[in-house]
Amino acid sequence: MNQVTHKARILIAKPGLDGHDRGAKYVAHILRDAGFEVIYTGIRRSPEQIVAAAVQEDVAAIGLSVLSGAHIELFGRVLELLKGRGASDIAVFGGGTIPPADVPRLEAMGVAAVFTPGSSAASIIEKLDKITAVGA
Amino acid sequence: MQDARREGPTATRAAGRLMSLLDNQPQRLSELLAVAPDEADTPEPDMVLGITGPPGAGKSTLTNRLVAEFRKRYPDERIGVIAVDPSSPFTGGAVLGDRVRMMDHALDDGVFIRSLASRGHLGGLALGVRGVLRVMSVIGCKRVLIETVGVGQSEVEVARVADLVAIVFAPGMGDSVQLLKAGLMEAGDLFVVNKADRDGADALYHQILSTLSLRPVQAHTPHGGVSLLDQCQAHGGEPGHDEPGAQKTEVSAYHLMQPDVLLVSALESHGIEKLADALEYRAATFGQTWRSQRRQRIHDDIRDAILEEARDRLSTTLGTNGTVSEHVRHILAGGETVQSVAAKLIRRAADRQEPIT
Repeated sequence: MNQVTHKARILIAKPGLDGHDRGAKYVAHILRDAGFEVIYTGIRRSPEQIVAAAVQEDVAAIGLSVLSGAHIELFGRVLELLKGRGASDIAVFGGGTIPPADVPRLEAMGVAAVFTPGSSAASIIEKLDKITAVGA
Repeated sequence: MQDARREGPTATRAAGRLMSLLDNQPQRLSELLAVAPDEADTPEPDMVLGITGPPGAGKSTLTNRLVAEFRKRYPDERIGVIAVDPSSPFTGGAVLGDRVRMMDHALDDGVFIRSLASRGHLGGLALGVRGVLRVMSVIGCKRVLIETVGVGQSEVEVARVADLVAIVFAPGMGDSVQLLKAGLMEAGDLFVVNKADRDGADALYHQILSTLSLRPVQAHTPHGGVSLLDQCQAHGGEPGHDEPGAQKTEVSAYHLMQPDVLLVSALESHGIEKLADALEYRAATFGQTWRSQRRQRIHDDIRDAILEEARDRLSTTLGTNGTVSEHVRHILAGGETVQSVAAKLIRRAADRQEPIT
């Protein structure tokens, strides 16, 4: 049997109405290069769609790219929906144009990590290795 | 397992988790999936369709349309999609992007989509496919579509897992010689020329028709789409003649009847109904045959597992020293061949129950 251990599955999604998916694709790319299995769902997804996909795919974590300013609402909704489906163990992280001042609030809500613009690839990988190791 | 079969919000969660377990530890299949004491109580899908073809031919878009069509026809029956994308041979990582085209169904509880990374498995599938397929069967998916990685010429493993295989082509991907090559073309029960909205689709469609007409004609079951047999001499009569037993005729390794060739545009949703009709016709005609075929395949899988296990065990006992150098001399001298030496050593090991050296 193939004994290679595979890194976690992570779903990357881009909620909201704008089509700027560069950040989401960039993160998908660096995660792939770090050995993660990334399920990319594309742009303009609702929290409901994202959570439904994450549950079917049984990912270890969901990464949201939010550029609309609605991060508090969107993250809150995703966390709430996960709870409703008995899937609170799926970690939620994210990035985008999120003011540093909002980060503590997101973390208090249960968001595992927030990567603001300028976060290095290495720091993202390091953090996600930690986050996904817990659930594995 | 019982959780996955229940209704409600946590059932999907349980099914998803189960698939992960099986993807990561396929040897636990039996322990995790023991659901019913009797074979007859274990639900089975009516149709397991493999969808394969070169990268960019439109497999995901077509899959998405087919799911919509079947949901329309059977609103009360669940459908499963297994979408395989390649893992990086360098890092082991993967980007699984098939879902991008299928998000229309994300909120439909009747559609269960699971993406898998090939994890170095060749042949166009992933090792975990069988486990996921099993879970989908158990949770009541009546139809399961398996979308392979984009394949080249000979990755046709899907033909060993699915009941029937649709090969998706798009115009602009090579001339008619490609269609003559062995492998992919032989594995198709249906040939779908996608992107009919583009130039060259018609030409490709006719190329495929003419390539296929080179094949000897064995079965006679004309119906929707295009039947090559309409132009051929009819023998054997009605479709009913091709029910179980038809596979004993000379219809190549995989095929129960002549392939269909269909021109569709998944993008514009043209031709999807005809394709679904063709699939349903086959399910109605060969449903029983498929069921026995699935059982036969389990035999094959057991055989493969034994060979794999034997190989693993042998490779640990296979020495690198001992009498080998003497054999090398014999082989070089021409008195033996690699094969004859191997046969001799295996026989000796089997007789004496000793390691091969």
